[in-house]
Amino acid sequence: MHESSSLLHTAEVVHWAALITMAAVYSLRLRWLFNFKPGADKSAPGAPHRTDKKRGANYSLFNVAMPWSMESTRKGFAFYLTFVIFHLGVVAGISLAFLSTITPSLVGKPAFALICGSTLFLAFLVAIYRVFRRLFTPVMRLISTPDDYFSLFMLTVWFGLGVVTEAHLAGVRGFESVNILVAYLFLTSFFLIYVPFSKISHYLYYPFTRIWIGRALGHRGSYPIVRG
Amino acid sequence: MSKPAKTHKIKMMEEQLAKKLNRQVVGSLVGCVHCGMCNDCCHYVLTHPDDPKMTPSYKADQVRKLFKANHDWTGSVFPWWVGADKVPLTDDDLDTLKDIAFGTCTNCRRCTINCPMGVDTATLNRIMRGLLTNVGVMPEGVRVVSKDQWELGNQMGVLKEDYIDTLEWMSEELEEELGHGGAAIPLDKTGAKVMYAINPREVKYDPRTIKEAALIFWAAGENWTMPSEGWDNTNFGLFSGDDGLGGACAKREYDKARELGVDKIVISECGHGYRSTRHEGVNWSGEAEPFPMESSVMTMLRYIKEGKLVVDPTKNNQRVTFHDSCNNARSCGFYEEPRELLRLVTTDFQEMVPNRAEGFCCTGGGGAMSMSEYTPRRLKSGEIKANQIRATGAEVVVTSCHNCVDGLGDVIKHYGLGCEVKQLVDLVANALVIDECAVMKNRPAGAPRPEPPVVPAAESDVAAARVAAVAQPLAGRRILVVDDEEDIRTFLVTVFEDAGAEVMEAADGDECIERAATFKPDLISLDLSMPGKSGVDAFVELRKTPGIQEIPVCVVTGHPEFRQVIYDRPVPAPEGYLNKPVDEGKLVSYVAHIIEIRDERAN
Ligand code: SF4
Ligand code: SF4
Repeated sequence: MHESSSLLHTAEVVHWAALITMAAVYSLRLRWLFNFKPGADKSAPGAPHRTDKKRGANYSLFNVAMPWSMESTRKGFAFYLTFVIFHLGVVAGISLAFLSTITPSLVGKPAFALICGSTLFLAFLVAIYRVFRRLFTPVMRLISTPDDYFSLFMLTVWFGLGVVTEAHLAGVRGFESVNILVAYLFLTSFFLIYVPFSKISHYLYYPFTRIWIGRALGHRGSYPIVRG
Repeated sequence: MSKPAKTHKIKMMEEQLAKKLNRQVVGSLVGCVHCGMCNDCCHYVLTHPDDPKMTPSYKADQVRKLFKANHDWTGSVFPWWVGADKVPLTDDDLDTLKDIAFGTCTNCRRCTINCPMGVDTATLNRIMRGLLTNVGVMPEGVRVVSKDQWELGNQMGVLKEDYIDTLEWMSEELEEELGHGGAAIPLDKTGAKVMYAINPREVKYDPRTIKEAALIFWAAGENWTMPSEGWDNTNFGLFSGDDGLGGACAKREYDKARELGVDKIVISECGHGYRSTRHEGVNWSGEAEPFPMESSVMTMLRYIKEGKLVVDPTKNNQRVTFHDSCNNARSCGFYEEPRELLRLVTTDFQEMVPNRAEGFCCTGGGGAMSMSEYTPRRLKSGEIKANQIRATGAEVVVTSCHNCVDGLGDVIKHYGLGCEVKQLVDLVANALVIDECAVMKNRPAGAPRPEPPVVPAAESDVAAARVAAVAQPLAGRRILVVDDEEDIRTFLVTVFEDAGAEVMEAADGDECIERAATFKPDLISLDLSMPGKSGVDAFVELRKTPGIQEIPVCVVTGHPEFRQVIYDRPVPAPEGYLNKPVDEGKLVSYVAHIIEIRDERAN
């Protein structure tokens, strides 16, 4: 069924082409970012006996995995969990798209289907919650742009379609149509082309922004944060 | 409806923005995902739950929009898609931006350390302030203070002769108290090890801290000096976003230190002064770390550790807590030394929670004390700090920052916390065991303890007069006490009469004007908040009325937040300003000093 669909073949080709396009645009994005002058701090280190740029950068880069390190994640632990699930969903969705074209037999295996499908499902629920949060919280409405709404809507649909696609690939009855996979691949392709121009490109910048603020505050002596 | 064309100012702001961009700044501009996680970290948000505009990302978005419209791919082609269509266009828009950048953020950086993306919102807000300042849009207080710092070299408009006079005054007092002639404050001493730079607030409102620092340097046997120029460690460039002013202020200090050939600059307890002199000034002025620089807290701690100072913590036995200046703790990693010092000089230290880099702003950061138009909002935002202080049960809030002293003073007063604010220099000076400090221990073997200077016989009358002057420093002076509260009037009258003054009272602004004209006092002690004609109105009338306009005025008020209101008036500023409750000794010496200066000028 899979090999027989020329539409599916087109979707796969488009999908890989989109990936290459995204990589090219991302390279240009990074070039653009690095064309700005670096922000140097010439002052002497603030607390060299305690910390430095390197420690600050490491701490900053990995504080995403240390919810206790920031008050915002410590106090908003439930929100932090939704953040983790949401981003695991992105990893699952991307893996599903690429593995379905490279090794379709793997993505149909029950264990893979269970892990990937349930991750996507949970991410879908979180995305719905986020849509409501963005639409109905005054603060979120105030700071949201069309790009914020669109990116979130698109991801919500993508997660939902990912769940259905995983069901299709796992051979669940009622989800036999290959068009499900085709739609998923086309949506992923659109996604790959769109993200470098949208807020979703934050994950490209993320390591740099975290390392830079970490180096800055590590140099001054305030990263890692000490509590007492 | 077509959009109005961009004004010249907006175009200038766009040009300026391009110059301020570097990788880190651009990272913060493109990195925000509008997740809202920084929301609950801001003291303005927590105290204004119904106003979504207090959220940090909204504040940062003001400069982000400008950036996206001019520098970002998507924003340039489809501005509405990323919110870049809502850029400011008219001068009215700039007023709104001014209120956001100066009136809803103290640049405390608490949101910065709580952003999962590493977005430095406080830096973006400072950039917006800088863009506005560059086109002349800023609160009046910021304009006045910046002008003073550009023109007079310090942000409170202190004249050089007043500064030197204050140092001499403090030297005299210190030597009198010690009964020893060698403790005068050295001025422009070349080859000293330490150059001590202070906050002009110390000269203007709290010279006691200069005397305490002098006592500490003297007791530690330090080879130190204060400079006649470049003595202001504060830097309004940090608050206004004007890097040019920031660099100029820092350079004045560095140049003077170079001229004097000192080894080190010691910065008195001032959060933004420390950050600006020790870190940012180096970058603004383009100098690569010209000197070792440290906070006086570090200096005092080292003196104690090296045995140069010996302290007795039981002399400070009230319960104390510590407030971290945002600039010190979050932007300079300077938070353990004050705690270490505090534990050495006090007996009952209670930590405030949260603290260190996670502490909340005192409300006075970012130059907020100079922007009286935002005072009500600022005081409301102080509720967080008030609750923190209340929970410690402290009688004394200690802080290493003059701005925080004023900010906390306002919060304590506004929320009726009933505690006082002190700095570490106060506590260290109070805890000193002078006989065991370096200055005593290191005197040559067999040398006697320093004694009061020997007064030659021919000068004995002068000496006697001097003793009398010390006992009754206001003898022969006439003082008009203006206050609507009878018990406060009685207190002030008693203090001044005990100090030898002839005193007359007035209960409101009208009586003040009338009695000033008939009583012809040497000084008026003026309350600001009174029924009928307020102290502010009376002050302006005094200054404008021939015959009484020269009378020195010392404001004694329970509303420290009125400080800027009165300084904003288009008349000469009051000669003194004290907050209630006022210490008797401080009041008398302050008032005596104001009158002395008036006499010297008249002669
Ligand atoms: S500044 Fe950081 S925490 Fe705040 S909304 Fe933006 S990404 Fe989220
Ligand atoms: S810097 Fe401080 S005052 Fe400004 S938005 Fe952030 S948390 Fe609020």
